[in-house]
Amino acid sequence: MAGLKDKYCIVGVGETEYSKRSNRSTRAMAVEAIKKAMADAGLKAADVDGMMSYQGGDSTTANWVSADLGLRLNFYMDVFGGGSSTEALVGLAMGAIEAGMCKTVALFRSMNGYSDFRIGGTGARAAQPVRGLDLAQVPFGMRSAGQNFAPTFMRHMYEYGTTSEQVAAVRVAHSKHASQNPKALLKERVTVQDVVGSRWICKPLHLLDCCVETDNATCIIVTSAERARDLKQKPAYVMGVAGRVNKPRTDFHWAAGPISRVAGYYAKDIVFGQAGIKPEDVDVTGSYDAFTFTTMLQLEEYGFCKKGEGGQYVSSGIIELGGKRPNNTSGSHLCEGYTHGMSMVIENVRQLRGLVDDYCPGWAEGKHTHDYSAGKCRQVKNAKITMNLGWAMPPTGSALIMHN
Amino acid sequence: MASVEYRGMNLVIPENDSEWREHFKLARGHKLTLRACQVCGLMRYPPSHGCPWCATLEWEWKEVSGKGHIYSYEVVHHAIQPGFKDWTPYAIVLVELDEQRGTPTPDEALRIIGNLVTPDFSPEPESEVAIGKRVRVVFQDLASDFALPQFALTDERPVGRVWSLPA
Repeated sequence: MAGLKDKYCIVGVGETEYSKRSNRSTRAMAVEAIKKAMADAGLKAADVDGMMSYQGGDSTTANWVSADLGLRLNFYMDVFGGGSSTEALVGLAMGAIEAGMCKTVALFRSMNGYSDFRIGGTGARAAQPVRGLDLAQVPFGMRSAGQNFAPTFMRHMYEYGTTSEQVAAVRVAHSKHASQNPKALLKERVTVQDVVGSRWICKPLHLLDCCVETDNATCIIVTSAERARDLKQKPAYVMGVAGRVNKPRTDFHWAAGPISRVAGYYAKDIVFGQAGIKPEDVDVTGSYDAFTFTTMLQLEEYGFCKKGEGGQYVSSGIIELGGKRPNNTSGSHLCEGYTHGMSMVIENVRQLRGLVDDYCPGWAEGKHTHDYSAGKCRQVKNAKITMNLGWAMPPTGSALIMHN
Repeated sequence: MASVEYRGMNLVIPENDSEWREHFKLARGHKLTLRACQVCGLMRYPPSHGCPWCATLEWEWKEVSGKGHIYSYEVVHHAIQPGFKDWTPYAIVLVELDEQRGTPTPDEALRIIGNLVTPDFSPEPESEVAIGKRVRVVFQDLASDFALPQFALTDERPVGRVWSLPA
């Protein structure tokens, strides 16, 4: 994609409240998130002619939502997909515009992820019959995301000596960040002891190693750098993108090890190659923190530390605000709310603008104190390059590098 | 056989499920059989349509010993499926079979997911679960033409380092 570097950008972002009971439809939430993102970008209804979304049979579709917004679309596509779709759809939106199918694309994800369709497999998903490839795992009581990923985490501990205390530091860092985020569901700062002392869900996962299922909708608007010039915000330019990159045997990835290796092993060369940078050039990372372990595995696989040293990396202070390379500065899935990957890209866009919505009285004018104590600031000083690490499963992932 | 009820789950294996139907039927005869490629000879699990290595579509069933070791595992304390609530804590094991280890590349192997159970199909106490321990397949009969392959510990010498999550 060397030819597309800096040609496309994210110009608008928006989200609904994060809650455990939205009391409204995914259609209603999607409309609010898109409307906010359009207002953020300074786009009128006539300016947005493309729409994409992703879901798992649990959400509204672009052609319904567009009517509520007064849009006439030249392109739309609702794809089947979960985590790691965000970055992939940013790339697909660029492709749709590049192909001349449309000019500006609004991407959304809308989910009543707590009150209706829980990712964990309870709620509306619990009664589904088990068939096809699911027969290889589900009959053994292996259905939720945590249950599906746990053997990967356990094998990493066996091979590299990674400890529960080390990965708990991810929750500690993200909870600190959430304490500076008025939108976060869980704003209370926690300690390593709180995490390893919380009840077992499925070993090696404690309750606090897991993210917070949430009702919400989120939106990201992609357009060309040329059109972005007339818009309201400082654009976040796409330097590189990798979409849903796979390990071999994604039908049953346990067959093709090492199972402690995740998809970033293959995605990193694509995304860093396009961007022409190295991990040490990245100022802020946004990892997919469905679990503490997923953050550790991704940061390690993308080369922010050596393979096997993820436990030391995430527990060193580097990933906290004030550290060398803060990760998930909004508190994200573990603390802010689970969005299937969208919110970490949204946060990085705001970081690049210098307009993170923290508790600083002047944040909307870009006035930040950089006091990272609880209830204060979460703007990273001089953030120039951000990277997002999307995760679907251990063998499938996406990545996105942006600059301001 | 169209469906089997097990722990509140509806396991559906219709006549046109060309991947799974025979696999579970053969398991009911207490044989663990995998698909082997008719060209390169490599076996694969789960039963899949084409050979993952040479994409050949011709295959044959091949019986394996059902012996192996625990390659990784987890212990579920908070069950998601209602039918597993009275089974907690239960172990899910990723078993690496003895046949075809490290073939065709060093990190590949025939690996199967199952529960670690006692001979009467209760969950093995979690203190007994560890990477490296040897296991053998045992068949949990659920219908006249369906059995679920599960795994039980053996007293054979472990493979490599025996490791479990520190208590």
